[in-house]
Amino acid sequence: MDYNFHWRPVFKSLPDLLESALLTLEVAILSMILGILFGLALSLIRIKMTGPLKWFAVSWIELARNTPALLQLFFFGFGLGAFGIHFSPFLIVLLGLTFNNSGYLAENFRGGFNSIPETQIRASLSLGMNSFQTYTRIIIPQVLRVVYHPMTNQMVWAVLMSSLGMLVGFRELSGETQFFASKTYRIFEYFAATAIIYYVIVKIILGLSRLMASRLFKY
Amino acid sequence: MKMFSKTLVSLFAAVVMLTGSSTAFADKLDDVIDAGVLRCGVVLDFPPIGYRDANNEPAGFDVEYCKDLAAALEVDYEIIAVTWAERLPLIVTNRGDVVFGGTSDTLSRAKTVGFTIPYAIYYAQAVVGADSGIVTVEDMYDKKVAAAVGTVPEQEWLKIAEELGIEGNYQGYQSENEVFLAVAQGKAHAGITTNTTVLPITQQFDTVIAGPRMPWGTDYTSVVGPRMDVTWLNYLNLFVTQQVRSGRYQELWGKFVGGEAPELRIPGVYY
Repeated sequence: MDYNFHWRPVFKSLPDLLESALLTLEVAILSMILGILFGLALSLIRIKMTGPLKWFAVSWIELARNTPALLQLFFFGFGLGAFGIHFSPFLIVLLGLTFNNSGYLAENFRGGFNSIPETQIRASLSLGMNSFQTYTRIIIPQVLRVVYHPMTNQMVWAVLMSSLGMLVGFRELSGETQFFASKTYRIFEYFAATAIIYYVIVKIILGLSRLMASRLFKY
Repeated sequence: MKMFSKTLVSLFAAVVMLTGSSTAFADKLDDVIDAGVLRCGVVLDFPPIGYRDANNEPAGFDVEYCKDLAAALEVDYEIIAVTWAERLPLIVTNRGDVVFGGTSDTLSRAKTVGFTIPYAIYYAQAVVGADSGIVTVEDMYDKKVAAAVGTVPEQEWLKIAEELGIEGNYQGYQSENEVFLAVAQGKAHAGITTNTTVLPITQQFDTVIAGPRMPWGTDYTSVVGPRMDVTWLNYLNLFVTQQVRSGRYQELWGKFVGGEAPELRIPGVYY
């Protein structure tokens, strides 16, 4: 390859890259929190309900899981833009990631719910708990234990997928990298440094996840 | 028989040495001729300089330049569609031999790739939303402005924004197509492009009209090749001058852009 590496520009803009990495984390964490709430709701609707609401949930899950994440981002960006609905790049990515996370997490939760024997619900009800208490105190804590590791995977996926945000003008870690790379033309150096930053972020997430798991699931 | 074997071995050694030495001194020019294919990176969202025609085939001024160069080399051509940001990586990674992509010959870029003498000249102009109320550049200061990532317009506009302390009104997109779509949809009030692109875009979108000319200088654009392959760059320089001398430059400019082709010489500069 006819190329000499120059790392100085990368070191100079490292503070900006790290700042944009925080933006990456921010959008990924927010999309996960929203994704868990929506995913939980979607899976319960899919399992327990019938009629239009069920079909709405099924359609959401199907679209989120079976269409490219990039198209989902473009839908929230340029698709809704065609109808005069404009969001900021941050919101486009947040909506896109939340939509996608919700679909995948809903199926994880459905698997989790199916893994809990039906008899536990009947036992809880027979002990005098109402339906809400049964789910919040007995079922969902067990489901969360089952889906904990798939949820960690989804978090990693959300961090990495947020890089698609640069295609809708979002200056998160990848967008910022591309900006500096196109400004200085040190393309390989910038993307190599960014790959390392992503790797470190993911390793931190996995480490924290293991730590939390050791505390939460002692028994 | 022994003599024959010795002669055969010597002949073989001579062939190996000759082949080896020719490989050692082969440059990009030889490589392209040997390969029989010229790989041109062309930006195809840059009408009328580079675009796809009604049959989805690459067309435009830059595409014709690629074909002309291939014809001069007596090889086939391959058009590689690139985005603005991909123009330099294409050369650096040797996925392409040359880029005809309206690439401004900045000193910063010249640290990474090699430039020929200018082969086309542009100036930056905005396309604006029909109801944006933008008439002058000053009108753009408090409006949402978009440009393609990795382009000179982006960098020049950001310089102006920094000088004036304007924050948060710039939006970068991957390609000019997205810039134009953003302006047409009202996501951005203005998109900065080149003067030659303004007419086809305003004809394509009802909600987009021509905006003001940008306050920075003329954009001298060059053909791009590998930085260290000077013989290839020399050949490309000759190609650029031949295009002018043969009248082909004027012919293609007239066909795709219209009017008289801009003077390529820079006043006061000796190339």
